[in-house]
Amino acid sequence: MDLLQVIAFGVLLGGVYALLASGVTLIFGVLDVVNVAQGSFLVFSALFTWQIWSLLGLEPLLLVPVMGLLMFVIGWAIYRGLLVRVAPQGPGMTVLLMFGVAIAMEGVLNIVFGNEFKSVTPPYFTSSFKIGEIVIPYPQMISGVLAVVVLGGIYVYLRKSWAGRALRASAQNKDGAALVGISATKASSLAFGIGAMTAGVGGVLLAIMYPVYPATQYDWIARLLGIIVLGGMGSIPGAIIASMLLGISESIASAYVPQWAPVFFYGAILVILLFRPHGLLGEKTREDVAA
Amino acid sequence: MSESVLTMANIEAGYGGGLVLQGVDLTVDKGTITCIVGPNGAGKSTVFRVISGLLKPKGGTVTFGGRDIGGLSPSEVLKSGIAQVPQNRALFPEMSVHENVLMGGYAIRRDRALLKERLAMVAEMVPLVKERAKEHAGNLSGGQRRMVEIGRALMLDPAVVLMDEPSLGLDPKSVATVASVIRDMAAEGRTVLMIEQNVRLGMNLATHGVVMEQGKVRLIGDAKDIADNPEVASMYLGKTGHNA
Repeated sequence: MDLLQVIAFGVLLGGVYALLASGVTLIFGVLDVVNVAQGSFLVFSALFTWQIWSLLGLEPLLLVPVMGLLMFVIGWAIYRGLLVRVAPQGPGMTVLLMFGVAIAMEGVLNIVFGNEFKSVTPPYFTSSFKIGEIVIPYPQMISGVLAVVVLGGIYVYLRKSWAGRALRASAQNKDGAALVGISATKASSLAFGIGAMTAGVGGVLLAIMYPVYPATQYDWIARLLGIIVLGGMGSIPGAIIASMLLGISESIASAYVPQWAPVFFYGAILVILLFRPHGLLGEKTREDVAA
Repeated sequence: MSESVLTMANIEAGYGGGLVLQGVDLTVDKGTITCIVGPNGAGKSTVFRVISGLLKPKGGTVTFGGRDIGGLSPSEVLKSGIAQVPQNRALFPEMSVHENVLMGGYAIRRDRALLKERLAMVAEMVPLVKERAKEHAGNLSGGQRRMVEIGRALMLDPAVVLMDEPSLGLDPKSVATVASVIRDMAAEGRTVLMIEQNVRLGMNLATHGVVMEQGKVRLIGDAKDIADNPEVASMYLGKTGHNA
């Protein structure tokens, strides 16, 4: 396969990874919570999308705002109902809690959808178009572009809105944020909601790109955790760079040595972390403003 | 006659089961600069935590402008007119200087005209805020960061400013700049309550002094009298015997 073609695939895949990983890293940055349930949020959204598409025959992309909003509400409720009570016990307990949420969601999804692959196959599922010599399938193109658009929206929201600035402030310095009157609970629930929303949007994109079944969550959460560790825990720019690097490296490996693709993905993380143990932008983001 | 703006009466507060503050009585007059000194563990920072709402007192009252503020949330205390400039590490390193100062006006974010007015006021008091507006706060020197922290605290036009160790880690030139801004704040009618390990600097800058020991106020009075107190001079200023 032509290298340019492979790189184009990698960039589009990296865009989807970036959207999903930005949610996990935003949650970690603001709450110090590693949301290991992000994979199950993602699969929940994908299977929900499949259900609506198979029942109503709706264009799946119309479900992007619906699933985004639904997962925002679910994420917000999980924070307010569960996490806020456990958070004072420390990061170990929050990881355990979210792991419990992930297992419970997987169990419910198994009961409702069964333990078999589901695929959303809209009319453009097998269509593609050409840019020069590069052939790009529509599902990959749509998913990559939509992921970048949503990510761009989150970026603008974080930069330009007061709520977004409050989230960035909380992520960078919790004591400083409290001193200017930012409520830690409100910032945390908003961050968790936005993080879950990225899984809601990502789930729709995932459903039109890959077959999904409940246990797929393990594969996805492993990738997402790898990406945010590589990018630097809590750094959204780091997560985006890491997503692109891994998306492209995985795409190249899949094209030339497909059986080695997962090894390539995690091997790349291992090698980079050997030289940058804090991740690509980790040091920068965790920098203290100490004298 | 001086008018008291902030009063702590018989305050008891601590962490877990223990009491760090064991009946603190403190009155701060309007427009004064009051400096709290004392050894480590005396309870100086705990006094600030109680006033700013970060720690709920177990007994006693904190009165600000005639209102009991003991136990209010940090956000409510801030809105009532008390801002804090902490020891250090309070800025948002990846935000610009402008954004850091802007965040100081978070509580008045919906009033754009007021926000603009306050930004202009802060830029006038702390010129660095305008000069280095676009620079990341994480790239500033210690003294510059302290100035930005002060600018941010002034965004709500507070009546009382709590300053925790304003000279900590600063070079002499930066200390002089910070001291000048503190004097300006008092000249404008604000009340400054500060904790300072550098007792000589603190008492020179302050109009009133407070010595704390073991969770209680040991001495309180004019800064000059406190500095001249033989015991204080001996313990904190390296002098022996009585001052002339």
